[in-house]
Amino acid sequence: MKTKKVKSRKKQPRPARPQDTRAVIYIIGEAANVAEYARICSVHGYNVFYHCPGSSEPAPSLESGTAKDEPRVPANASFALELTNVDLDQKRRNLEMLDRALPSTTAIVSSSVTVTATEQASWMRHKLRLVGCSALPTFADKPLIEIAPTVFSPAATVQVVQTFFRSIGKEIELVQDRIGMVFPRILCQMINEAAFALQEEIAQPQDLDQAMVVAAGFPLGPIAWAEKIGLRQVYAVLKSLHRDLGEDRTRVAPLLTQMVLSGTWWKRT
Amino acid sequence: MVKHLGIVGAGTMGAGIAHVAALAGIDVAFYDINGTLLRQALERIKTNLTREAALGTISKETAAAALERIHPHTRLVELNSSEIALEAAIEDLRIKKDLLRHVEADTKPTTILATMTSTLSITAVASATHHPEKVVGLHLIGPIQDAKLVEIVRGEHTNANTVDRCVEFSKQIGKATTIVSDSPGFLVNRVLQPYFDEPLRIAAEKVADAEQIDRIVRMIGGFAAGPFEAMDAAGLDTTLTVREALFNSFSGEPRFRPHPALKQKVAAGATGQKAGRGFYTYPEKKG
Repeated sequence: MKTKKVKSRKKQPRPARPQDTRAVIYIIGEAANVAEYARICSVHGYNVFYHCPGSSEPAPSLESGTAKDEPRVPANASFALELTNVDLDQKRRNLEMLDRALPSTTAIVSSSVTVTATEQASWMRHKLRLVGCSALPTFADKPLIEIAPTVFSPAATVQVVQTFFRSIGKEIELVQDRIGMVFPRILCQMINEAAFALQEEIAQPQDLDQAMVVAAGFPLGPIAWAEKIGLRQVYAVLKSLHRDLGEDRTRVAPLLTQMVLSGTWWKRT
Repeated sequence: MVKHLGIVGAGTMGAGIAHVAALAGIDVAFYDINGTLLRQALERIKTNLTREAALGTISKETAAAALERIHPHTRLVELNSSEIALEAAIEDLRIKKDLLRHVEADTKPTTILATMTSTLSITAVASATHHPEKVVGLHLIGPIQDAKLVEIVRGEHTNANTVDRCVEFSKQIGKATTIVSDSPGFLVNRVLQPYFDEPLRIAAEKVADAEQIDRIVRMIGGFAAGPFEAMDAAGLDTTLTVREALFNSFSGEPRFRPHPALKQKVAAGATGQKAGRGFYTYPEKKG
């Protein structure tokens, strides 16, 4: 049950490879994801420009000299990352802008946990350049990344994306292009069940977290995990899954919805 | 501090609790109606204590003292001085209710009545007693010696003193505690369900295969074992039993519906490591 290999197509332009570690990279999207990738790419020698348009979260504060906030895509950018999960209208605007501004051969990797990479590619004129990835806050520091080629992605584009992620120290797992991909889907469903349990007052939040860490060997309790990733991100994944799968079992816990809508979470007292 | 513990039932759970309680310095009145089962359980405890002493995790003297603290009985009335009487019979509501009614009759009015269960409603078990406020559920996750946490389950009528005493007892035997309310699957087994079920669905939808999913969960999630590895280790039959119990207890809630792939593995006898094959295959142990 291995994922299908993406076949190479002939007579396609080869996207530029970001092999030069001083290559210019442009990162756009939500602040938390952008901050993590801007930092990591800078550490690995890339010349990083970033922007967080329309983000309600504060712009990432990065050390001066390592990355620069730049609303316009640099003409010499050899690679781009789009890291929006919550505001999909903004994500579409970002991708359309990147598609217009970058040469048609420049690869774009885009977070595809709340909308498939294939759907994102359908918004663009140069569909061959896009590959999806699993980007949620806190994931950038992990040693592996999930990559999802679209139905359009030629092997050359996938190769460029793999080369990029290897250059920033990551191992790669190629998965099919589905909402939630693998780990975001599993994690958010666990957080959702934890929210159902809290809603039913089966345990206190801190007790729930402690139980899952001590008894089930979780590296982090689901509530603490949700707080680290950001509730709006978790909610966005769950809503997208529910919309995509259309199954009653994937409905979002009402408590989680209320917390996201009200912008509050329980107090750790 | 709990000084006198009564245990009803000389199965694996009962013997395990007797073992850890005796090591913690608690006197154990160990009851089973079947004297043969009781002797066999004591032999197992003796063997395990001897092995621990041989491994150097405890001294020979500690092992011998622990064994002396366990007093076998085939008459329930011998548990009358117990501060906590812990019922560890098979997972059957009728049997547990019947046992608890007799234990209540044969112990002192202050004795707490604890029932060990992973699926049954504490409120339903307590309904057989005159004092349901003294009834509480204890759920240890995993083999008793290795379990790090006890879920202390409050029934509808369980009072605070009952819960407090069980927290105290759990700490004495070296376990962390979480107090949970009486709901199907309690807490850990329930919140754990998506960790097993969602990967089955992801694999069935061909998003990634079991090996890939395990690697992703280990390397991104930081889990010690991936979900398919964990299910194989726990036993696919056990995993399915818990899932079916949750599904039935929640009156067919779709979130807990067992996945056909899990049922198929169990039907094929591929129940995990113990069977030599589950989602993975395991080489036969030699010797």
